[in-house]
Amino acid sequence: MSNTLTAAATTRRSWRVVDIVVASVIAVASGIIFWAWNTTHHLLDFLFLAFPPSSALVAGMWLFPAVLGALVIRKPGAALFCEMVAAVVSSLLGSEYGWTVWVSGLVQGLGAEIVVALFLYRRWSLPVALLAGLLTGIFGGVNDAFVFAWFPDYTTAMKFAYVGCMAVSGLVIAGLGSWALTRALSRTGALAALASRKASQERIAG
Amino acid sequence: MNHRLEPTADPLPDAGAAPRGCTVKARGWAWKHAGRDTPAVAGLDLDIAAGERVLLVGPSGAGKSTLLHALAGVLQDDEDNASAGELSIDGQPADRASGRTGLMQQDPETQVVQARVGDDVAFGAENLCVPAAEIWPRVAACLGAVGLDLPLDHPTSALSGGQKQRLALAGILAMRPGLVLLDEPTANLDPDGVREVRDAVVASVGRSGATLVIVEHRVAAWADAVDRVIVLEPGGGVACQGSPAELFAPGPVRDRLAEAGVWVPGYTPPLPARVPAAAPGTGLLRARDLAVARAPRTAPALADLDLGIRAGDALCITGANGAGKSTLALTLAGLLPERSGRVEARPGLLGPTSAGVGAPGEARPYLWRAGELVTRIGTVFQEPEHQFVTATVRDELAYGPRHARRPGSNERLHTDAEIDRRVDALLDRLGLRELQDANPFTLSGGEKRRLSVATVLAAGPRLLILDEPTFGQDANTWRELALLLREQLDDGVAVIAVTHDAAFAAALDATPYPVGRAPSTTPSAAVPTGTAPVIEPDAAGRDSFFGRCNPLAKLAAVVLATTPLIASLDLVSSTLVVLVSLLLLPLAGIGPLRFLARAWPLLVAALFAAWGTALVGNDAGAVLLDLGLATVSEGSLVSGLATGLRVFAVAVPAVIVLSSTDPTDLANALAQQARLPHRFVLGALAGMRLLGLLSEEWTTLGMARRARGVGAQGSIPQRMRANAGQSLGLMVQAIRRASRLAVTMEAKGFGGRQRTWARTAAFAARDAGLVAGGLLLGAAATAAALAAGTWNLVWG
Repeated sequence: MSNTLTAAATTRRSWRVVDIVVASVIAVASGIIFWAWNTTHHLLDFLFLAFPPSSALVAGMWLFPAVLGALVIRKPGAALFCEMVAAVVSSLLGSEYGWTVWVSGLVQGLGAEIVVALFLYRRWSLPVALLAGLLTGIFGGVNDAFVFAWFPDYTTAMKFAYVGCMAVSGLVIAGLGSWALTRALSRTGALAALASRKASQERIAG
Repeated sequence: MNHRLEPTADPLPDAGAAPRGCTVKARGWAWKHAGRDTPAVAGLDLDIAAGERVLLVGPSGAGKSTLLHALAGVLQDDEDNASAGELSIDGQPADRASGRTGLMQQDPETQVVQARVGDDVAFGAENLCVPAAEIWPRVAACLGAVGLDLPLDHPTSALSGGQKQRLALAGILAMRPGLVLLDEPTANLDPDGVREVRDAVVASVGRSGATLVIVEHRVAAWADAVDRVIVLEPGGGVACQGSPAELFAPGPVRDRLAEAGVWVPGYTPPLPARVPAAAPGTGLLRARDLAVARAPRTAPALADLDLGIRAGDALCITGANGAGKSTLALTLAGLLPERSGRVEARPGLLGPTSAGVGAPGEARPYLWRAGELVTRIGTVFQEPEHQFVTATVRDELAYGPRHARRPGSNERLHTDAEIDRRVDALLDRLGLRELQDANPFTLSGGEKRRLSVATVLAAGPRLLILDEPTFGQDANTWRELALLLREQLDDGVAVIAVTHDAAFAAALDATPYPVGRAPSTTPSAAVPTGTAPVIEPDAAGRDSFFGRCNPLAKLAAVVLATTPLIASLDLVSSTLVVLVSLLLLPLAGIGPLRFLARAWPLLVAALFAAWGTALVGNDAGAVLLDLGLATVSEGSLVSGLATGLRVFAVAVPAVIVLSSTDPTDLANALAQQARLPHRFVLGALAGMRLLGLLSEEWTTLGMARRARGVGAQGSIPQRMRANAGQSLGLMVQAIRRASRLAVTMEAKGFGGRQRTWARTAAFAARDAGLVAGGLLLGAAATAAALAAGTWNLVWG
């Protein structure tokens, strides 16, 4: 070889076409998982009949695109974009929350976005993922219980219980779940074109 | 745009204005992908003249696709990639020649960007900022040039693979490129599709004067259509080049290519002679009066089938595309229920391990548990990745035997030592020993194919069912598959293969089993599965009043109508909005039944919200139900009803209006009128087009994993694990498709700051009426609640 190989230009922050399309498709695939989940999760409803605010314990299922999008795409706005697109998809399929799902998507996405932004879009470890899931859950819970106030007759304590349940759910399902999924995806080589391609080799706590 | 285009006299008007073909030059060019140790291409020197037609061949790993992607300017500009040397188009560096090139890849599903035929052809031209008035004539001419006579609003999801590739070609021609790059354009197509695409390429690209570079494994179809063949060396440069006649004539070059697995014209890999068993084996499986269908309650794809298969038999299911061959195979494999009639296992397949002989369903494969199925029938899917369920090659092979269960019990069929022996034998037989710790998804195409067959063999089934096992494989993998399956046949295993590959059928001495009617005009892709989520409105919805309104106006109207309900918890305003919305159903073109089908989850959610509030709400009046901790009283029941109705009333108008909203129209309005960044809006739209495809993939994954022994039954943790595995599988496929779709879009010039819009979004008078109507409904709901004295702010 006559020349030595030189690295291409650094484009860490800006979105490339592949980032946009993969983020969109993650959101769409999440929409399908929601839809598959939809048929089972109403079967779980009876578990929460005795204490209705605990239904938020499974709400993390609706939050994972935000954290997954951030961890896989690693660009500013990825959490927001993925959760928004997932919300639009679910509204087009017929969401039980009507147009307000767009607002919920925005608010939930913002929760994860704030956390990864605080780490300057440089850290994607397990603690960051857990924090992002947690804040997404808190934002989503506050939005449901206080902003749209879907349960006006709950006592304040119950509303806080709802937010707490959603925070735990966000932490476990959206935070831990998305982190594990990202590492599993990186092992398959599917992330080759993305900044997260080496996610499975990164330190867990780093 | 409902009109059908008349074919114009000259398919490419003002061809004189079209740019001439580009020249290509490479000097010492090299490229290394991120995360790889060795470069994909190194030291490449190459010259291609303007208007020349070149076929690039070479063993897999020779960097053919990398070179094509570099010429198309879509190699990722990423800090971890590295390049050297010069690669230029018309003297310009290749990565800056955007707009002069067009690229087609092999997967037809990701060559289409838009939901409608006309929009898809226009997409590249729009990205190149061609004025809107000029785009539609180009679209018409290019559809004519590739021989696609379809209405402009024909849904792209209803096209066959060959039609999708021709559509992609039309979109490329509409960009008037000087260099057309085809990366295995026919690898995923059946023989009819191959001819169809080849003829379209020869006719249209030839006439446009563009330079043509094709990468293809099966070179026979293209040998007559090119001027020169260039053979690339793995990890290096050009090995040799010459005219097709020179290179493919008997001689050392031809032999070397054949040895490297290239399908040189007229070549079939040599196999030793074989004497098929003389005596018929014992009966394994029988089908009687069988009808098959993809989904319950849909019309059967095939009916009145009778067939039997015995040990050592090879059966080859043949027929036109979309005839239902795969559906039949999946039904015989116990993965789809019979539409009617019976698939019945015979004693030779049930085996001596069978416990509850005579038990109902004992002989019906569809009712077997996954752990029983894998020991009797092994099914190999067309896409190997659908069947990978573990993280290493070794675990993948051990998975089937480890999950094999004695019929009627939970007892394991094999000890760990037995499994180890079996896995070691397979690793050696298939030459995968070196890769035993590798992640299955990271293998090459040929290795994945061999592994997917081996994983199924590992569980020791008596019957093997394979769907297009040789699709897209090079000649070497083809030969290994043939040898492996022959061994199985000699051991008394029966083989059923769905295949278009006559040479493969001959290699197995297979009995043909032709199925199906005359090729239908609607290909299989268009057949709705009946269970998939639907994102696009049907014809009634599209043509309805709401269907013709601007999506932004619809959103505004819905927000205006329902905002009072978000502010207040009362029965009066909610009831009014629900009633008016239901009266408006005809305006959205939805009948009551379809509305119920869409709205039932809303009702469940509403009932749940009602229950929650009734249980915990402030008690007043008589106690109706005492649960100890909580009680339901008259007062709390009323507020429960109000809560439930409010949830329902907020959702219903949105469901009605959005069900008539086409995602393409929504995206156009968001980008052109709401001025959201078009890259993100159109990227999201392109992703949504994959929804139907991915939901089908979800169903396929479920079947493919059952065929590996992953049970959908079992305890809740087992089910959740199975679901998590399936979700990972779906995400892998989703991201792979997205990555290819991104390449398609970028190659069509997508991603720039500016673009034109062939289809403009605008507001009409009816949109003003719609918004006024929404405002009126919201105001009426508020006034009614105030007048009735029920207005009750939720934040109070």
